[in-house]
Amino acid sequence: MRLQYIFRLVVFSAGLLISCNKQLDLQPKQDVDAAIAIITPENVDAAAIGMYSLLGGGALYGTNLLLLPDLQAADGYVSWRGSFQSFRQVARKNMARDNAEALRTWTNAYKAINMANTVLESLNIVTDADQKQQLEGEALFVRGIMHFELVRFYAAPWGATSDNSQPGIVIKTKSTKDETGAFEKLPRNTVAQVYTQVVNDLKSAAEKLPESNGTRANKFAAYAFLSRVYLQQHDYEKALDAASKVIESGAFQLNASITAVFDNKNTRESVFEIQQNDQNNAGTANDGMATFYASLVGIGRADVRMVSAFLNTYDPNDLRLSQWYYEGVGARPGNMYCSKWKSFSQNLPVIRLAEMYLTRAECNVRLNSSVGDTPENDVAKIINPLRVTLPEITNPTLDDILDIRYHELAFEGVRIHDVKRLKIMTGDYNWDANELVFPIPQREVDATNGIITQNPGY
Amino acid sequence: MRILIRYAMYTCVVLCLFLQSAFTQTKLIRGKVVDSKDGTPIVGATVRILNSKVLTVTNAEGVFELKSPEKATTLIITFVGFKSLETPIDSDLSNLKLEDAGTQSLSEVVVVGYGTKIKKDITSSISKVTGKEFENLPLPSFEQALQGRASGVFINSGSGKLGQGLNIRIRGISSISANQQPFVVIDGVPVLSQPIGSYDEPDNPLATINPDDIESIEILKDAASSAIYGARASNGVILVTTKSGKAGKTKISAGVYTGWSKPTRKGEFLNTAQYKELFTAAAENAGLDVAEEFEAETGTKDWNSNNDTKWSDLSFQNGYVQQYNISMNGGDARTKFLISGSWNDQKGILLTNRLRRGNGRINIDHSLNKNFRVGINLSLSKGLNNRLYSDNSFTNPLQLNALSPLQSAYLPSGKPNSNTIYYNNLIEVANSKKLATTYQSISNAFAEWRIIPSLVFRSQVGLNWNNLQEDEFLGRETIDGAPGGSSFSNQVTSTIVTYTNTLNFNKSITEESNFDALAGIEYQTGKNEGSSVTGIVFPDDRFTKISSAAIISAGSSTATEYTFASYFAKANYKFKDRYLLGASYRIDGSSRFGKDNRYGSFPAASAGWIISEENFLRNSSAVSFLKLRASYGRTGNAEIGNFSSRSLFQAAAYANISGLITSQLGIPTLSWEKTNQFDVGLDFGFANNRISGEVDYFDKDTRDLLFNVPAPAVNGFTTITKNIGAMRNRGWEFVLNATILNGLFRWTASANISTYVNKVTKLVVPVPPQSRTLGRLAEGQPFGQFYGLKYAGVDPSNGDALYFKNDGSKTNDVSEAEDMIVGNPNPDYYGGINSHFSYRGFDLDIQCQFVKGGDIYNMAGIFQSVNGDYFDNQTVDQMKYWKKAGDITDIPQPRLYEGNGTDKSSRWVQDGSYFRVKSVNLGYNIPRSLLKRFKMDNARVYVAGLNLFTFTKYTGYDPEVNATYVNSVTLGHDFYTPPQARTISVGLNIGL
Repeated sequence: MRLQYIFRLVVFSAGLLISCNKQLDLQPKQDVDAAIAIITPENVDAAAIGMYSLLGGGALYGTNLLLLPDLQAADGYVSWRGSFQSFRQVARKNMARDNAEALRTWTNAYKAINMANTVLESLNIVTDADQKQQLEGEALFVRGIMHFELVRFYAAPWGATSDNSQPGIVIKTKSTKDETGAFEKLPRNTVAQVYTQVVNDLKSAAEKLPESNGTRANKFAAYAFLSRVYLQQHDYEKALDAASKVIESGAFQLNASITAVFDNKNTRESVFEIQQNDQNNAGTANDGMATFYASLVGIGRADVRMVSAFLNTYDPNDLRLSQWYYEGVGARPGNMYCSKWKSFSQNLPVIRLAEMYLTRAECNVRLNSSVGDTPENDVAKIINPLRVTLPEITNPTLDDILDIRYHELAFEGVRIHDVKRLKIMTGDYNWDANELVFPIPQREVDATNGIITQNPGY
Repeated sequence: MRILIRYAMYTCVVLCLFLQSAFTQTKLIRGKVVDSKDGTPIVGATVRILNSKVLTVTNAEGVFELKSPEKATTLIITFVGFKSLETPIDSDLSNLKLEDAGTQSLSEVVVVGYGTKIKKDITSSISKVTGKEFENLPLPSFEQALQGRASGVFINSGSGKLGQGLNIRIRGISSISANQQPFVVIDGVPVLSQPIGSYDEPDNPLATINPDDIESIEILKDAASSAIYGARASNGVILVTTKSGKAGKTKISAGVYTGWSKPTRKGEFLNTAQYKELFTAAAENAGLDVAEEFEAETGTKDWNSNNDTKWSDLSFQNGYVQQYNISMNGGDARTKFLISGSWNDQKGILLTNRLRRGNGRINIDHSLNKNFRVGINLSLSKGLNNRLYSDNSFTNPLQLNALSPLQSAYLPSGKPNSNTIYYNNLIEVANSKKLATTYQSISNAFAEWRIIPSLVFRSQVGLNWNNLQEDEFLGRETIDGAPGGSSFSNQVTSTIVTYTNTLNFNKSITEESNFDALAGIEYQTGKNEGSSVTGIVFPDDRFTKISSAAIISAGSSTATEYTFASYFAKANYKFKDRYLLGASYRIDGSSRFGKDNRYGSFPAASAGWIISEENFLRNSSAVSFLKLRASYGRTGNAEIGNFSSRSLFQAAAYANISGLITSQLGIPTLSWEKTNQFDVGLDFGFANNRISGEVDYFDKDTRDLLFNVPAPAVNGFTTITKNIGAMRNRGWEFVLNATILNGLFRWTASANISTYVNKVTKLVVPVPPQSRTLGRLAEGQPFGQFYGLKYAGVDPSNGDALYFKNDGSKTNDVSEAEDMIVGNPNPDYYGGINSHFSYRGFDLDIQCQFVKGGDIYNMAGIFQSVNGDYFDNQTVDQMKYWKKAGDITDIPQPRLYEGNGTDKSSRWVQDGSYFRVKSVNLGYNIPRSLLKRFKMDNARVYVAGLNLFTFTKYTGYDPEVNATYVNSVTLGHDFYTPPQARTISVGLNIGL
């Protein structure tokens, strides 16, 4: 009798536990398990948006990819005043092997590449052919531009060796899904290989992307980046062709006001732009373009100060001088700051139409051609009495165009790359100096037992 | 396999029942055995029938039942520590009194995992602290009562901030990335002991527990005692048992105390004359004009002021403590109850710091009939804590000592001076409010069914509910509230529910052997939910709630949870009262463990030999008790994070749209950390147990430590969490108790000393010190070892700071100096000495606590003891700075801004040894003859002191420091860390 009770008890208890076992399979509430994260076309689209959110972070276009190219070319141009050692080292070209900026840009660019590969490998989920093509194009676009940004910073520049066999960066074309993948030790590819990969990705992105894609990358964003890539390779015909495709698309047009592209969101001048708002932006205290550039009441650390030697090279009548620069009134007041970056929530133009005109004009002059339009007409789009209160330039020379480019695209993240491709100097450093190449984050060398090699000089 | 084991356990229990029914008896007799001294039940006494094999053991109420043969005449009742008693079987058995044999403590009941046990029969290593030992002490939180009282338990209160988490380490340090704190179980209910608040200083959910509600605290140290808690026992287990009702007349006791607090020590900083001398020299040596520099840094002309502000004193306020408590307990044979309530108000020694707590408790226990018992323990507490941020925050009041004495604390307008070198924390005091309100319940309900006399089924459900509400308003003048004011509201709820079912079997098989066993299952869910909102820009500082904010600047809600499903069993066998065997086994499954490794097994075994029961010692007058015991077993650490084994995606916003990105790559085999522990111990008693004690040696080997292994970032992930490290802790524990004088004047004393030697035995990559810290992890070295430049004093010829090179030579060029081992924050040994005196109505209790070794690195030295490198006020020892060639000193020549001796180095490493008179309690019991008039049973007035005296060579505020804002690898670091409070209180207890 009693034993019966006990048996019942035991069976009851055991039953209780069997139901408990199911309770051990909990799902997180603030994250989604990777196994079920991307299973619908909407999920693939969300993963694509994830790529853009990474691009907008401070490690990438949110700050570093737009700030560091100007900071690294600091001499006679800009000075770093802030307390962040990592940025100061970039400006002084004495970066440590564990420089925090070199580390986070590298890490996040590869995170974005991993997301791009994840999207590419999930395309079979997408049923709609147009959407599939669009998402594929976006993923290839992100993968292409990230490899491009990395190879420009972390490797000796294009042309540093005759066949560009110098170590580039690691090419990643598949996503990481498990421990084995996460610990895979891949060596650096050559600069030539990386550029080939970048061109292939961007070319197929340009083919697949739609002409219009909201605020996300479209076909012409891919062509615009292609023009940058070719220009960096001194392949002026192709650079011209790519820039021309952007201009002739008719999708873009220079704003009447030179400040509008920065003050307003998604103006027609902008070819590719990072989206920000009050809640979601690269940062308001220790990160973000306005944080470092601005000296306004309650906005900005005023860490990046314009050097008068550079400002003095603007024509005093140049509207850009008065519209793009101002005397600080916030932190470190009284000095000159750049007003392209003055709001935490502003959008960040990465490529705008003006650059395409200047690229085409430069290529036409170099090739002695007038493909698309004459250099004079293209330059006149930028320098004219209406836009910048300067007279138009007749028969612009190469030097003219490069000088206009310097002043037009200042503090938009192109300067050091121009120094390298034009094979000129910045301060005492030659275009191919070791000091102008970022260190490979030392942790990367350590984590691969040296399979990823360090750059010379570090 | 595991399923087999599970079923084997049940089968085992069932088999025992068959054995039980194999006996045939005739007459049922029932009785109760109590202690003659105070009438408390004696648990585990052996009751035997003369000339028969029939015997039994008394239960938790001291009650026994046995079926005796008709012809039986006499009962023999024996129990260790008591004289044996023979009584006719037909006499009144309801109150059998055993006389004390003069041997104490061995008959003591010790709470163990899922039950109780008599101390004599224990084969594992358990420290016990009874509530009596710390009653009426103005303790900030109950865990501090263990400091110096329990061997093997190292406690560092961290700082004198009220309501903050303590560092409790049982038998060394057993984890790197997972939790290092012990598992806390209160009345069988696992409770939240980890911080849930948003502050950068960890909060202590246990701070709202009323120490006066506690009957006893048991610390399970070795594997044999703790492995029954399986995957959560590697850091040791603290079992807290609250007071319960006692049958008899309803007794009311009430108490009140009030006290005053001051810091144990204040810092000595330069006055204006010294400050001017030092900095004038510093500026001159650097070729600068000191007044100009001071003006450039502060924007004031205060260099020429006549101020002499003693900033270091302004960090403090006069603290106080008050407590009122009342409790009532009583009941009859079937129902027992305890009701208690208390209110405690502590005003800390640091500006704005305050902790108030209110507690209510009802413990009821009712027997429906002789086979059914139900009970409930209900507690509710409220805590109101005016908290402080971490030591590293400008709002830490102690950072005021960095300000220059030349600057005034307040402006002529009466407002705090805002032109100081660093943030003037008095602005924060005047313009902010920070309050954390906690509601907590630790409750359980149980039902017990005695299926047959030797078998009890118990079912319990336990709840630990903790609701934390943080409100913070920062006015527009404060550093973080400017320009428009800022208000933050955060609510976090933690709910832990535990269902436990056990079957407990206890049976004397023959006259000479006793067997008890327990099998159980347990299911636990834990959930954490939170939401927070931040609003900024208010019309003025009178508006503090977010409804008045112009901008809602941030908002969030969060949730996470975990579950455990566990199966456990244990058995003890005793033969001839001298040979003891024990074994336990637990299987823990948890949602936290990777899906490929979901269940962990935690076995333990132990054996004991009571040598003094052997014939050759039985009649020894010198040796009254001697027991050798040893144990070995495995425990785990499951505090590995709730979803660390998963590969996850998280949301990522891009302006107004949102997407998905990878957040972590998990390994499906990721699981608990494992500790194998060996323990051998000797318990002894001499001279009729007037001297008694314990010696223990332990060896804890921890494997599969969680570690974030660096992965190449090119693959998209920077670290992967793996079970990969290993660590070892070995040590000794000594406990000695003595009754030195036994008479009208009675003096009892106890002392304990514990050691641990920690060594990291396997590490994938070393964890180097951070930019300002010295603590590191390296293979073959102790946890948190100090590693950095070794300071070599001052070059007498030029006043340069010197550092050692590897070859032992000295250099003034830091780049030539090398990092080396410069200290160890782990103590050589630690312990306590306690004495209790009584004479007539007086009693005096003195408890001291000490730590030997354990280096401290004062991280703030770089700012405050650095020969005037910047305008931070300096400690007075800096006045011994190098002045001229030939000066022999350790303080380099002051050179403003030039960094002479400012590098992170052993310059600020000191020996952290200390001896502290932790608590003193002197009381007087008012004679009963006087009390009768007031119908009182007893009354005691007392004076108590906490942290009365501290002896140390450490020159900082207090050697018991641990800046918590740095990482978990960093021990013994001081960074403007506030000292403990010295509290003196007076109080009165009465009993009706």
